[in-house]
Order: sequence, then structure tokens, then C-alpha cells
Amino acid sequence: MSIQVKNVSKSFGSFQALKDISVDIESGELIALLGPSGSGKTTLLRILAGLEGLDEGAIYFDGENITNVSPKERKVGFVFQHYALFRHMTVFENVAYGLKVRPRKTRPSKQEIAKKVNELLELVKLQNFQDRYPSQLSGGQRQRVALARALAVEPKVLLLDEPFGALDAKVRKELRRWLRQLHNEFHVTSIFVTHDQEEALDVADRIIVMNNGKIEQIGTPDEVYENPKSPFVYDFLGNVNIFRGRLQNGKLRQGQFEISAPNYLDSHDEAVGYVRPHDIQIEKEKVDNETVAAKITFIHIVGPTVQIELKREDNGEFLEAELTKEHYKNLEIQKGDIVYVRPKQLKVFIPEDFSI
Amino acid sequence: MTKPLEVKQEVPVVTRTTSNSYSLKESATVKWSLITISFLYISLFLILPLISIFVTAFEKGWETYVASIVHPDALAAIKLTITVALIVVPLNAIFGIVAAWLITKFSFKGKNLLITLIDLPFAVSPVIAGLIFILLFGAQGLFGEWLFEHDIKIVFALPGIILATLFVTFPFIARELIPLMQTQGVTEEEASISLGASGLKTFLYVTLPNIKWGLLYGLILCNARAIGEFGAVSVVSGHIRGLTNTMPLHIEILYNEYQFTAAFAVASIMSVLAIITIIIKNIVSWKAKDV
Ligand SMILES: Nc1ncnc2c1ncn2[C@@H]1O[C@H](COP(=O)(O)OP(=O)(O)OP(=O)(O)O)[C@@H](O)[C@H]1O
Ligand SMILES: [Mg+2]
Repeated sequence: MSIQVKNVSKSFGSFQALKDISVDIESGELIALLGPSGSGKTTLLRILAGLEGLDEGAIYFDGENITNVSPKERKVGFVFQHYALFRHMTVFENVAYGLKVRPRKTRPSKQEIAKKVNELLELVKLQNFQDRYPSQLSGGQRQRVALARALAVEPKVLLLDEPFGALDAKVRKELRRWLRQLHNEFHVTSIFVTHDQEEALDVADRIIVMNNGKIEQIGTPDEVYENPKSPFVYDFLGNVNIFRGRLQNGKLRQGQFEISAPNYLDSHDEAVGYVRPHDIQIEKEKVDNETVAAKITFIHIVGPTVQIELKREDNGEFLEAELTKEHYKNLEIQKGDIVYVRPKQLKVFIPEDFSI
Repeated sequence: MTKPLEVKQEVPVVTRTTSNSYSLKESATVKWSLITISFLYISLFLILPLISIFVTAFEKGWETYVASIVHPDALAAIKLTITVALIVVPLNAIFGIVAAWLITKFSFKGKNLLITLIDLPFAVSPVIAGLIFILLFGAQGLFGEWLFEHDIKIVFALPGIILATLFVTFPFIARELIPLMQTQGVTEEEASISLGASGLKTFLYVTLPNIKWGLLYGLILCNARAIGEFGAVSVVSGHIRGLTNTMPLHIEILYNEYQFTAAFAVASIMSVLAIITIIIKNIVSWKAKDV
């Protein structure tokens, strides 16, 4: 089912939680909704599910305006941020609930319900837990029950509010791969909220980045990561180094130090350049003005990559670089060395357009 | 089918319980002195009076006891009290659930006013509550003339007693449910509705099971108060023997006529009702734990 969100705004009292949100989601897409806490992710999901009203705008499912359709009729599977399992029902009863409450005409028989529930419990690896109550389960197990419960009604849209929030890194990774697989299988249009940019980049077809109740950018993981539209998105999707300076003849200058910015030949503005740690090259000799001297203050070796913290010699600002272990070994550098830092890829933002 | 998750098959290991938390163990002396104090206090103020009721009731022997209870006036009082409770408790249960539902699951204008109004019977003396009904429905009251013309009796009759008891007992169930439903929030109801359940099914399958122990507790309190209410009922009843005397009123009349044994005999029936109520409540909560 395709989803269209058209100019949706929502206020709680005087606080505007969503400001003129518009998104088009194609049928079968897996979308990650990414943004800092309080940016309105849950509010947007709740509006899609019909659990929250909206002040302005409209929602379309498959081209049909469903803004005023009740949540009961929307056929949306919702996995809540805090699971919201029925506490007085067993795992089995929780998963069976959506089928059990159907009107008699469309309700499957007891046997059919049991079969379906068992299939789902197998899918989420909880067959042996079907008689437990939610209070007797771990966070990850509850999460899987919540997922199975939402899938039982064969929803056309699956909304997951931080489905893997409470889990440890390894289980998270397994579950998100599994979600991807599940999604490939069932082609349910799915939106999942996450705080974790890596998670979003890893499994989503497209990412929606939200901030302060507004959409900052929508795009494929590659687009959003490589071509962030705003400093916010750039910052949110990974670590950054910031170089402030003035644009001149296609270069961002900072005293002696200059970085080439060929897209800004005609600009003469104050600007901020953003460079990812892995786009920073470390050299031992100064060969031109496109490098700046810095002292190595810290070296972390994290598995196959090496993170290096540096302090600029000219203005004392800190920088972060990321190298492969091999490259690091070839360089033969140590803490305390003075090296020359060369930003290889610069993304320039002109501050008047953006507040950082 | 999608390949099942690649986490290894988990097997149930331990069941979590909340009772007997290790970190809450107090030193034995503190524990035992607290237990002793509680028991002494309860014996002095609850058990002792209770025993004295039965002792006085049986003072003049078994026959006098039975005679006091099977006296037509006593039987009429018992019947009236039970009738009132059977009508008042279900009505207040419905009202309490509706009010608690409204207050905790919706936001609307006038919510605080409603909460204050629910508490009103706690603040108003029962005697005044009774007087209000006299002022409204009594012969000289606001609707008195109209009621007289249509031959409807409220004051000094069953409807008046029911109204007064309703008024006095209506906060019990709502007050019990509101905090409970507040802490439970609305997420389970939202989950139910987004799974396609109707409002009624959501209430029956999700809300009601979650509040049933609180509801039961409220019902028991409400019932106890409905049976025992004296002040408000005393004002509206008119004390017509065999007709509008409830058990507490009947006890008072007997007592004022120096028929102590008879008074305490009826009182012992009320005490037995109270004890049964407590036992039911406990059985139910033991059952609740097993579920
Ligand atoms: N019912 C409500 N009443 C008042 N304010 C609300 C309500 N629900 C949400 N808000 C506010 O709206 C904003 C967005 O909330 P929302 O829950 O959508 O954030 P979120 O992006 O999901 O955050 P998180 O990642 O922490 O879950 C927050 O500032 C929150 O305080
Ligand atoms: Mg949220």
C-alpha cells in the first residue's frame, strides 16, 4: 500500500510537534525515520496509525483519503515504542488477539488461529514461551511478541517505533537484518523509527531525517549520506570535522590554510566546511597549503579501523581522522607527532541559510 | 516463508517474581516488633469490639438471639438493606467505570470539575446529603407538590433510601479505579484498537481484565458502605418500622429502647456480612495471584 502524507501539521497546545510534513512512500518500501529525541517521529507514526488526530493536512493510503478513518479500520500494524503488550494475556493470547476480535463473519476458526499464531511464534523463535506472561519476558522477547502480534493481522502497513531500542548491539543487528528479510518476503510497506543512523543506513530503502517537527531530507541511504542537504543531516549521520573560513576563488580559506571547494567559484561568503573523519588524510610532510599542521593527541584502535584525534597547531581545534589499520601501520605515526592533515572531500554550507 | 530468526532457540529458564525481594529483607528485630505492634493495634481496635458484639448478642442465650433476628421488623430491615445494596452497588459500578474511563482515557474541558464532583460526597456530611433529598423531594420540597400530585413517593420510601445511599457511596469505585487506570495509561487500548478491535471489545478484553481487582475492591468498599450507611438514610427514611428501616436504623431503634441483646444480635448479622465480605475479597486476591 502506498502512503502519502500531505502538508500535515500537529500541535500539542502551543507546542508545534509537526510542521507541514509531506512525504510520498511507495508500496512495499522500507523506510527509516531518523531524528533526535523529540523531533516528532512517534507523533508522525501515531498520526499514520490514526491514534492521534492532525490539525492540518491529509493522509492517503493507495490514493484514498483516510484522514478521518478510525484506527480500527486502517489495517496498520503498530509496534509500540514500549511494546504495549497486553499484560494479563499470555504470549499466545497476545499474538492471537487481532484475529480473535474480528467480527464473527471474518474471524478464522480456533484451529486456524492457533496454526497462524504458532507459525508466527516460530518465526520470532518464541514457540516455547507461548504460555508466559509479558512480565516474564526479556526486553528483546517482548519486542518479538509485539512484532508477531502486529503481523498476525496481516497489515498492509507496518509501523515500528524504535523496534530494536532496548536490545544489545548484536541482537539489534540480527533483528534488523531479519526485518529486512521479512520485508523482502511480505512486501509490507514499513516505516521504522530509529535513533541509530547506522541502522537506518543499513536496512532502509529510503531514509527520512526529521528535526524539530520538520523533514530535513528524504532519500536513499546513499543520497542522504553522500549528499546531505543541511549541516544538521550531515552532523546527524556521522562524525564530522568542521572548518570555518571564507570562500575565495573556489577555495575555503582559513589564513594560510585553504581547501579546494570547486563548486563555489563565485562565492565570497563566510562558510563552514564539513569533512567526515574517513575523508581526512594524514601526511608526514607539508607539501602544499591544502594541509594544516596538527598534533596527534590520541590513537584508538577499534577492530579494523584506527581513530586518530588531533589538535590543530594554529587554532587549537580538535579534529578526528579515521584510517584503515594497514594505512596506519604504513604511516608509522605515534601519539605526540606533528602531522599534516588534508581534507579530501569537503561539503560546504553557507551559514546564513542554516542555523547550526 | 522467511527464514526464522537466527538467534538460538531459547528455553524458558526462570520466572521472575516480585515478592520477597532480597534487597528488601529487614533485620529480624525490626520486623518482629513491627508485626507485634500491628497485631496489638488491630486486636485492640478491631477484634475486641467484634468479640464484644457477639458476646452481648448471645448474653441471654441462643433462643433470644434467634428470636431477635426472626422478628418481622428485623427481617424486614435485613431485606431492605440487601435490596438497597443490590440496586446501589451495580449502579455505582457502572457510574464508577464510566467516570474513571472518561477521566483517564480522554482529555476534555471540565475534567477537573468532574473529579471534584466525584469527591463531593466525601466532603459533605451524610446528614446534609439526606437533607438535600428532603429539600428536593419532601412534601415542602422543590418537587414535593408535583410528586404528590402524581402519587410518587420518594422521601420516606425505598427510592429516597436508594438515592441517599447512591449519593454517599458513589465515590468509592471511581476513586479506586482512577489512579489505577491512570498508571496503566492508554497504550494497551491503543494497541487493541489498532489491531482492529471495537471499543466494546477493547473494554471487555483489555481494560476490564486490567482493572478487575481494583474494581472488585471498589465494589467491596461500596457494598460495605451501602449496607452500613446510617446518617443520610436516617434523614430520608422516616423510620417506619417494617417498611423503611434498614439494619443500622433498626439497630439504633432497638438500642434506644434498651433492647441491647436484640440490638447486638442484628449487629452481629452485620458483622458476619462484613467478615464474609473480607473473606471473599481475600479468596479473590489469592486467585488473582495464581493467574
Ligand atoms: N500527548 C502529547 N502532549 C504534549 N506534547 C506531546 C505529546 N506527545 C508528544 N509531545 C511532544 O511532541 C514532541 C515530539 O514528540 P515525539 O514523541 O513525536 O518525539 P520522538 O521523535 O518520537 O522522540 P523520541 O525519539 O524521544 O521517542 C515532543 O517535544 C513531545 O514532548
Ligand atoms: Mg518516540
